[in-house]
Order: sequence, then C-alpha cells, then structure tokens
Amino acid sequence: MPFIKALEPNIENNETQSAASPLPPASVPLQKQDADAIAGVGVRPDDPARSATMIVRDREPVCLAVGTSPDFEMLPVSLALKRYGWLREHYCFKAVPADFDAVSAECAAQENPPGYFIHVKKGADVTLPCQAAMYLASDHLTQAVHNIVILEEGAKLQLITGCTSKHGVQKGRHLSVEEYYIGRNARLVSTMVHAWSADVLVEPRSGVIVEEGGRYESNYIALRAARRINSDPQIYLNGKGASAKSLTVVLGTPGSVVDTAGNVFLNAEDTGAELLHRGVCTGGVMHQGGLLIGNAPCRAHVDCAGMLLDQTGEGFIESVPGLRSHHPDARMSHEASIGKLAPEQVEYLMSRGMDEQEAISMLIRGFLLADIEGLGPELDAQIAEIAAIAGHGEE
Amino acid sequence: MATQSNILEIQNLSVRAGGKLLLDSVDLAIPYGEVHALLGQNGSGKTSLMMTIMGFSGYEVTQGRILFMGRDITALDVCERARLGIAIAQQRPPTIDGVKLRSVLQYTLRNSPDPDEALIRLAKEAQMERFLDRSINGGLSGGEIKRAELLQLLSLSPAFSMMDEPDSGVDIEALSLVGKLINKLFVPDETHPVRRSAGLIITHSGNILKYLHLDKAHVMHNGRIGCSGNPALIMETIGKYGYNECVRCIDQKEKLCRS
Repeated sequence: MPFIKALEPNIENNETQSAASPLPPASVPLQKQDADAIAGVGVRPDDPARSATMIVRDREPVCLAVGTSPDFEMLPVSLALKRYGWLREHYCFKAVPADFDAVSAECAAQENPPGYFIHVKKGADVTLPCQAAMYLASDHLTQAVHNIVILEEGAKLQLITGCTSKHGVQKGRHLSVEEYYIGRNARLVSTMVHAWSADVLVEPRSGVIVEEGGRYESNYIALRAARRINSDPQIYLNGKGASAKSLTVVLGTPGSVVDTAGNVFLNAEDTGAELLHRGVCTGGVMHQGGLLIGNAPCRAHVDCAGMLLDQTGEGFIESVPGLRSHHPDARMSHEASIGKLAPEQVEYLMSRGMDEQEAISMLIRGFLLADIEGLGPELDAQIAEIAAIAGHGEE
Repeated sequence: MATQSNILEIQNLSVRAGGKLLLDSVDLAIPYGEVHALLGQNGSGKTSLMMTIMGFSGYEVTQGRILFMGRDITALDVCERARLGIAIAQQRPPTIDGVKLRSVLQYTLRNSPDPDEALIRLAKEAQMERFLDRSINGGLSGGEIKRAELLQLLSLSPAFSMMDEPDSGVDIEALSLVGKLINKLFVPDETHPVRRSAGLIITHSGNILKYLHLDKAHVMHNGRIGCSGNPALIMETIGKYGYNECVRCIDQKEKLCRS
C-alpha cells in the first residue's frame, strides 16, 4: 500500500496571517501573439488581481512577479532547489518518485529544470490567485517541467496554471512532474487549462500528499486535443479527514489519444474523495479511469461520463472507473456512462431559434456541466469554449 | 382562401412516419389574429400536424405544402421556421440534463433592451423563478412543464404559437395560471384585445375554452380534418354525444362525398 509521506522540513514557522498584496502589472517580454495565447489558457500577466505570476517559455522563466507578502514565495524551482537544502532532501521527488516511470526519470535527469516552487507559510491565506504559464514557443522541443507546491498548516492558495503552444508549433513534448504537499487543514484549489497543438505529446505526472484536515481541489480542462494526453495523478489522503475533489474535462478529436486516469489512496479515517471525468469525443481515442483505494474508513465516488460524437466509427470512449477496498468501512461508489446527442433535444433547442451548431454546443456544455456546481465564471467560459469547438466540429 | 389574409395555410398536406400515413390531404387556413382549436381522439393526427408545421424530423411530407405569411416553408428546418415566428409548446417535451431553463431564456431574450430584467419579470409571471437553474423539464410536474413551455414562448413573442394540450393533467388553480399566460401570449396589449397574435391549440377536454376566446375549431379523424366550425358549438356537441358521434358524422359526410 503506497503511503508516501514527506517529512516536516526545518522551516521557521511564521504565525502571521496575511493576504498577499496585489501585483503591479508585470513587464513581460512577450509578443502580443504569445501573450494572447497564454491569456487563452487563463494566465494574464497584466492582471493586478494575482498574487504572483510566472511564465516559462520553452525552458526558461521569462517572467516572474511576486507580491510582497512574507508568507508566500514563488521562485523558479531550480533556484529554490539550490537555495533550500531541505527542499531537495525532504520534498523533491517524494510525491512523485524519480523512477516512477520514463517521464519522471527524464524530468529528474535535468540539472536546472524549468518550473515553479511555491511555498505558503503556516496559516497564510493567499487571497489572490497565483498563476503560471508553461509555453512551448519552439517547434520540436521537449519541455520537461518540475513544479513543487508546499502549503504549511492552515495555508490556503488558489493556483491557476495554463499550458499552451505557440501557433505554428507543429510537434513537441510537454512532460511534467508536479508535487503538491498540503499540510494540516490547508487548502489548495488548482485549475489547469491546456490547449496544445495537434501534434504535441503531453505527459503530466502528479503526486499530491494531503495531511489531516487538508483539502485538494483540482480542475483540469483540455480545450484542444493534443496528439496524446496521458494524465495519471496519484493522490494520497494521509491524514484524518483529508479530502480531494478532482474534475477533468477533456475534448478528443480525430487522431488524438486522451488517457485520464489516476489513483486516490484513502489512507486515513474520515477521508473523502470525488473524481469527476467528463469527455467529449469527436474522434480519436479517449480512456477515462480513476481507481479509488480505500485503506481506511472513508467515502469516495468516481463518475465518468462521455459523449461520443464521432460519426465515422473510428473513435471510441472507454470508461473504466474502479474501486479497491482494503477496509470494510471504506464506502466507495462509481458510475460510468457514455452517450450521444439526442436528436429530439437538438431540435427542441432549434425550435427556440438556435441553429444546429448553437443547439449542439449548448447540449455539450450542459453535458459537461451537469451535476457540477460552483466552478466560477472563468471555468464556465472555458467549458463553454470546449462545447462550442465540439459543436462546430473543429479541432 | 386568400393567402394575404392567412398567416398559416396548409394545402393538401400528407405526411408519413415509419411507413404509416399520419396526415391525409389536410387543408387548413388560419387568418392573422385568429386562434384555432384542434380536437379529436387520440391518434387522429393532431400532434403530428403541429410537429409537421414546426418542421421536426421524422415527419415526411409526401404531398402538399405549408405556407407561412405567404411563404412556402415546407422545406425549411426547425430553426428557420422558429426564426420566422413559429413556436410550439409541446405536451411532452424532452428533459435536457445540464441545460438550464435560464440558459435557454438568456438566448431567446438576448436581443431585448434589458434581457436580465425581462427574464426575471417573465419568470415571476409564470411562477417559475425557482426552476430557472434546473435542467429543462427535469423533475417538473405536469403543470410546471406547461408553465416552462409557455415561459419560453412568452420570451420569444412568436407571431404564431402552437400548444399541444396545455390544459391536460392540470388542476384548476394551475389551469387558471396557464390560461392567464396563454392570454398574455396571444394578447400582448391588454388595451387592444382584438389585436391578437395567431395560433393553434390542441385541446382534448376543452377546458382552455374557459380562459381563451377561440375563433374556430377543427375536428380531426384518421389524419384528416373532418369538421370545422364554431368552437363552443363543437365542444357542446362533443360534450353531449362524445367523439364517437363526430367520427360517425365525419364518416357519413365522406361517404356522401365519395358517392
């Protein structure tokens, strides 16, 4: 039974609670085209309502702006690893081992990996979201990123990460190791928006460790399908009452492979998890999974729903949520469904004046958002964008 | 039939679905400003006629045509007909999970001077505020479904509204509200009740007649309109003698026509 625990670092505790101050507009050496692409995945460097901004272009951080709070730090991860010995010793490749697979090994082999290090100190509530962009600007490049986020006891953070490639980039690889350490009663809400070129391989490997009373919420939205998206997050709910909620919304298009799975280890009493997968497949292959492993009294649910719009018969969706129980009081459930657009629903909306594409987009958006509440206007808009793309049959 | 005075004309219309003849050489003319009723037994073709006028797929026109405001709309799709001003309140509309009533109203009211105000005002009039963020027709009672349909029609302000049994399965209190909403739909200006928009209403019980002035009624049988006339007189006859008498009379009339 995997039970990965990061040791407490030798960090001086700071009892001060303070909100991070708003940012001045960042001076970002990006062309308008690049800035627009990054804005399309939710990262706006000139937005003052952000606690910090980092933009990684290919393999270099080209922008870093951080507010002046003593309780919050964002650095390039390579700099943080040099500065803090405890980081390398107690956190680096602990939530995701370097030998987890070939992707993590490739990320670990870099001497100065691109990526961010975020540290929120005890009790600090970072009220303004922190944002980061991973941008592939060069063709045929491998961008192997390592991100480490540490929230000490009682800390709160909202993190927005946008990953995209420059228009004209044909091929590339985006690999990542993402490690999240969420302390007692801390809370992290992470929203990641991806929009890649059609021939990019995307391989994120994430590990999340949640201590007692901590909460991890993740929203992953793939606005455009890449050649392959292979996501397999590992979430370890190690402390009593720790919880996680994960929403994955992806679009599959002809020629793409989207594989979103993940394991949640409910390792302590009163832990809870909810995994929601929503996929719209206009072509290509889509796998939806998610294994809940109940090692203690817990409650968990995984829900996979897919809408297959491919008329050629070549694409498919496979939904295989799973449950594994090692404890009689592990109460877990799963559901999976795959459907299509109902013609009578399309025509019903057309009878209200919508043309066929508008009606289909509204139906897809409804499918993606069904039973999901409280996403906020930005996520809502991004899901609407997926629905519009899928409804118009574009890639 | 003078086309200029009719908002809707059905000329010699025959329709098939699944190999079955649903409508058989139907002729119908509804002048501007008139609201007509469609009566008949189950399976007589009433709903099929309305769905065909709206342009829903599954209803294959094998003969004849449909004219709306003098224009042949037989080949137009549902959206095109809706944008010309035709709307329908279905008896059993689909449930659409995830699509909120509010979303549809935001679309239909998008060109209003103040869409948010109009949405709230209309929802209050239909007593549907608490259902705005529910999925379309999801978990609604029969009366609530009818009000949801009428609310959408009110937001569209159609030139020609069709309603499939707005008075069926609805209790007296709910029927009163349904009647009020239908009147608002057909009489947008209460100070000028004669200036009505036009429409077609299917009613089985005739209860809606208590709330709405109808100009003419048509009785359907076997996919044809067998009888047309004063709505009150027709309903009175059906009330006294039942639909069987209508069927007998229509059959007799057709026999005479053939001989």
